[in-house]
Amino acid sequence: MTSNPLPWNSSRLEGCTLTGALSVTTEVTDGVTVIHGPAGCSQHNASLIHATLLDHDTPHLLRIHSSDLDEAGVIFGGEGALAVCIREAAEGDPSAIFVLSTCVVQTIGDDVGGVCRRGWGVPVIPIPSSGFLGGGFQDGMRNALIAIGDMAADAGDRDGGITLVGEKNLEDDVEENFREISHLLALLGERTSLRFVRGMEGAAIQGLSRSRLNILREPELRAVGEAFGARFGTPYIDSFPVGLSGSLRFIEDAAGFLGLDPEGALEEERARQEEALAGFEDLRGERIRISPLPEMNMGGCFIPEVAASLGLVPGEEGVSLPIPSPLPVGTGGLVRLLHRWRRILHA
Amino acid sequence: MKQIALYGKGGIGKSTTAANLSAALAEMGMDVLQIGCDPKRDSTRMLMHGSWIPTVLDQVREGREATITPDQVVFRGFGGVRCVEAGGPEPGVGCAGRGIIATFQLLEKLDSLKGDVIVYDVLGDVVCGGFAMPMREGYAREVYLVTSGELMSLYAANNICRAIARLASRVRGRCRLAGVIGNGAGQAGEEPLVRTFADRIHSRLITFIPRDPVVQRAEINRMTVIEYAPDSAQAGVYRSLARSVLDNRDLVIPTPLSMDDLESLAMEFFPA
Repeated sequence: MTSNPLPWNSSRLEGCTLTGALSVTTEVTDGVTVIHGPAGCSQHNASLIHATLLDHDTPHLLRIHSSDLDEAGVIFGGEGALAVCIREAAEGDPSAIFVLSTCVVQTIGDDVGGVCRRGWGVPVIPIPSSGFLGGGFQDGMRNALIAIGDMAADAGDRDGGITLVGEKNLEDDVEENFREISHLLALLGERTSLRFVRGMEGAAIQGLSRSRLNILREPELRAVGEAFGARFGTPYIDSFPVGLSGSLRFIEDAAGFLGLDPEGALEEERARQEEALAGFEDLRGERIRISPLPEMNMGGCFIPEVAASLGLVPGEEGVSLPIPSPLPVGTGGLVRLLHRWRRILHA
Repeated sequence: MKQIALYGKGGIGKSTTAANLSAALAEMGMDVLQIGCDPKRDSTRMLMHGSWIPTVLDQVREGREATITPDQVVFRGFGGVRCVEAGGPEPGVGCAGRGIIATFQLLEKLDSLKGDVIVYDVLGDVVCGGFAMPMREGYAREVYLVTSGELMSLYAANNICRAIARLASRVRGRCRLAGVIGNGAGQAGEEPLVRTFADRIHSRLITFIPRDPVVQRAEINRMTVIEYAPDSAQAGVYRSLARSVLDNRDLVIPTPLSMDDLESLAMEFFPA
């Protein structure tokens, strides 16, 4: 039960558990998601995700089924409608069926877990959701990651690569951020072996247990890192890096977990940062004003560090500059932000 | 048209009272519609001589709400009383309260909510908004509490007072408490206790129905007392109740008691 849907707490980050869970489950490319509830809940959330993906020029077919709960289902219970829907979804021979539940299903008390546990011939995974009643977007995303992670059998060996956990599949820069992390890992001679969950086939889930290091997209996913750590013994870094020193710290942390010497990688990244900042010398002396939003995680306040490095002058009378949410990832993300600031300062 | 609702603790005798009240009103020449608003669907059974009539929600369950006709859900019982059962889900699944709301919407669509008197016989406690449906605007304006002198029965009646007071406070809330019907459980000193309870919630005792074995005999024979033993004293009590209900104009917004006050009241009549 949650009390979050209050008027002053209605940001996109809160939203509905369904949207958050769908942003994860629909990235299992050979899986199917069943939404147990009224068709409108499926339509609304699928539209939202489709529109966002379209906006990012990355549309793909969302494999979503609705149990289409109607008046009779609400009155007499919807478990029968859910069973019919799962059966239909299973006919397509998916790698897994993920079952999300809506507010009304939680209200009338359908035993979703019980229906999922019947023998369906394919894994049927209930994702704790319950629409708005189950929490917000972040809760749905976290619960989906943990539930899908539970499908991985413990292989016993940590001989795999590095796993990115909980990429924000609906954010603008998801691929740019991936490239940034790949670049930093490459400096250490490492690479990402699993994107959990982005464009992933169901069979790849098993790779999760062999991961030597999990890198979470943001600190709000620490519960996921803890769950996988408890299950597979995998350590985690709790967020993608933000800012100049944040990127260097990320290299140090990753090297520490992987038992590597970070010095060479740090030297290369420092040189990259210096070269990048040199390209913005024209901004030196510009007066700027940053008004952080209260909802924004400042990620260790990277702005003063950037301002000092570039000789920007913060103050009330300066030009107002935006800070994107989510914050820019790594040196590459910072460079994109500086290009944006330059356009505003030179407008 | 007079629309009344009978509320009270489960098992206290609401359906028996409602069925005999409807039978007595029908005897007086009234066109009566009795609607059972309980998934147990047994409100009208004695009026129907033991038959379990198909419920409104049976039609919904079968997906026939678009083609349903009044004769599929409204059935004539003793004295021409028109009988309807809402029905509902099996225990432990779904939402019976939503079922009551759906029933009312369907009966309105069928234009079946008509007659001289409509008697709503509602599930014991007002556990959710659905079971308060008969008290909402457009339905029963007069609510009767059916209670014995047992503390839990009075407690349930007091809770219903809270619901009435809440609904009455709404801008267009027209629901009022019409009185208390005492249904004896056979305890000594029961009638004065129920009468005092009625006074303290600022209402009044309409009728006290004493416990009488003829009620059970009538039910075994699948009839109301009015039909089974029309000359009995108990039948006379039900007829008296029917007259009182028809003549009653004394509608109030009740003042529910606190739990402490309720227990103190019981202690006055049954000291430890």
